[in-house]
Amino acid sequence: MLSELDSSAILLTLKLAGLTTFILLLIAPPLAWWLAHSQRIFRPLIEALVALPLILPPTVLGFYLLIAFSPDNPFGQFWLSLTGSQLAFSFSGLLIASIIYSLPFVVQPLQSAFANLQKEYLEVGAMLGFNGPERFYRVLLPMLLPSFIIAGGLGFAHTIGEFGVVLMIGGNIPGETQLVSIALFDHVESLEYGQAHLLSLLLLGFSMALLVVIYGLLQKRQRALQYA
Amino acid sequence: MLRFDLSKKLGETELLPLLHFKGQIQLTGICTLFGDSGAGKTSLVRALAGLDDDFSGSVCFKSNSWQGEKHFVRTEKRKIGIVFQEPRLFPHLDVLANLQLAGKKADAPLYTIKQLAEILGFSDLLHKRSRQLSGGQKQRIAIARAILRAPELLIMDEPLASLDKPSRLELLPFIKKLGEQIPTLYITHNMQELFYLSRQMLLIDRGRVEAIGDPNLLFLDARLSLVKHAHSGLLIEVNKITWQPMFAMASGRIDGQAILLTGYQEREEKALPDKLQIKVASKDIIIATRPIKHSSLQNCLQVTILQIEPLVAGVALLTLTTGKQKLLAKITRKSLIELKLQPNLVVFAYIKAMSIVGEAE
Repeated sequence: MLSELDSSAILLTLKLAGLTTFILLLIAPPLAWWLAHSQRIFRPLIEALVALPLILPPTVLGFYLLIAFSPDNPFGQFWLSLTGSQLAFSFSGLLIASIIYSLPFVVQPLQSAFANLQKEYLEVGAMLGFNGPERFYRVLLPMLLPSFIIAGGLGFAHTIGEFGVVLMIGGNIPGETQLVSIALFDHVESLEYGQAHLLSLLLLGFSMALLVVIYGLLQKRQRALQYA
Repeated sequence: MLRFDLSKKLGETELLPLLHFKGQIQLTGICTLFGDSGAGKTSLVRALAGLDDDFSGSVCFKSNSWQGEKHFVRTEKRKIGIVFQEPRLFPHLDVLANLQLAGKKADAPLYTIKQLAEILGFSDLLHKRSRQLSGGQKQRIAIARAILRAPELLIMDEPLASLDKPSRLELLPFIKKLGEQIPTLYITHNMQELFYLSRQMLLIDRGRVEAIGDPNLLFLDARLSLVKHAHSGLLIEVNKITWQPMFAMASGRIDGQAILLTGYQEREEKALPDKLQIKVASKDIIIATRPIKHSSLQNCLQVTILQIEPLVAGVALLTLTTGKQKLLAKITRKSLIELKLQPNLVVFAYIKAMSIVGEAE
C-alpha cells in the first residue's frame, strides 16, 4: 500500500499540476494569439524563449531559477520583501518553475490552432454583433475547445513528469516540495523497489490514460475538420 | 441613404488609388452590385461593413457616420446582416445553435427561426451539423442567420451562386420581398437575378463606381462598361400569356405583336401568369430588312431603329423599339453598311433565344 509520504507526494503533485495548468490557461491564450499573428521583428525571439524549455536540459533551467530565487538576487529579494518567505525550496518557487517549464506545451497547441483558425469565423462573430471578448468566448473558445483541452492536458501531464527542475530548486521537503518523481527517486536510492514499482506504475498508468484521452480528442477533431 | 467615399492605396508613392468607390445609394429595396470578377464588388461591401479598415474616407448610413477621418464604427456596432460568398456556418454547432447564436444580439428580428426554416425549406435540418449539409442547404441557413441578426442593412455576396436553378427560382421571390423590408446590397453576376430583384444598380468597374441607376437604363447606355458583356440585353414585358397546346408552348404579346415563349415549357401545368418578363440578349437578335422565309426562326418583331452606336471596332449596337419597349441588338459593322440601316428605319428583329426572367409586377 501507499505510505503516508507517498500519498502526500501524489496530492502535492496533483495540486502543483492543477494550479500550473490553471495559470497557464490564463497566460497562454493571449501569448499564443500574439505569436500566431504578430508580424513584429522580435517575434522569433519571444517564440524561441517560450520554446526553450522543450530542448534545454531541465537542470539548466533549474540552475538559473535557483540563482534568480536566491535572496541575493533582485528578484528573490523582491519576492522576499513582498511575501516574507523565500522562493527557493518552496511550493511557490516550484509553481513559478513549473509555469515556465510547461509553458511551451500549452502555448504551442493553442498557437497552431489560432494560426489555422480561419478569420472568416471571427468576421461572422462581428457580423452577429459580438465585440472582441464576446468573440473569444462565444466563437473562438467553443470552436477550439478541443485545442484548449489538449493544451491544458499536455501542460498538466508535463508538470507531473517534472524532475530535473524540481531537483534543482525544490529540494525534498515532504508536503511542501516533495513530488512523486522525487519520492520515486528516493525509494530507488534506498532500494525500496516495491514502493518504487507502485509509484512508477501509477505514473505510467495515469500518463498513458491522459495521453490516450488527448490523442482521442485530436483524432475526433481531425475527423470533424475533414468533413467541415 | 447610404453615402460613401472610400479609397485604398497600395503604396504611398502611388498617385491614383487602387480602389476608389464613391456614391450614394437609396435605401429602398435591393440595390445590386454588378461588375466583372475582380472589379472590386466584394472589396466595397467589406469596407462598407467595416470588415476591412484599410480604406480611408467616409461612410454614412442614414444619419450615422460609420467612418470618418477620426472615427471608425466597428462591424459589430453597424447592425449589418451579411451573407458571405461561402456559408461560414460554425462547424462545432448544429444548425439550430448556429441560428440561435445569431439572435443573441438582435432586438426584434422580422422572422423567427421556425418561420425562416419553413420559408427557406430547412425545417428538417435543424439538428444537423454543417458538415452534413450540401452547399445549397448551408447557404439557405446562412441567409436565415443574417436575417435573425435583425439588421438595418443586409449585404448578400452572390448568395445563390452555389444553388441549383430550381432552388434559385424558389428563393428569389423571398429575397425580393425581404429587400422591401430591409435595405439590401446584393452582389450578383446573374442578369436574371439583377433584373428581377433590383430597380437600383451599382455598376463597378476596375475599382471604381462607374454608374448608379436603373438597370434598364444603364444597360441602354453604350458608354458604360456593360456593353462589353456579350449578353447585354434588355428586359421586355410580355402580356396576354396563353398556352398553345398544339406546340406545347406558351405565347404572349409584346406591344401587340405575337411571340412564342421558348424555354417556358417547364411550367406547363401551373397556372400561367398574366404578364412575364423576358430578357433578350443583344447578340441573340438578327436584323432583317425583309421577312426571312424557310428558317427555324420563330419569333419576329417589327421594330423601328432608334439609335445606332459604334461599340468596339467592327461592331455596332442598335437600339430598337416595338412602340413602348426597347430592345438592343448587336450586329457587325459590315451588316450595318450592307443593309443600309439608319435611324427611324422599320426592320424585322428575329429573336434567336430568350430567357424568362420572372413574373412582371
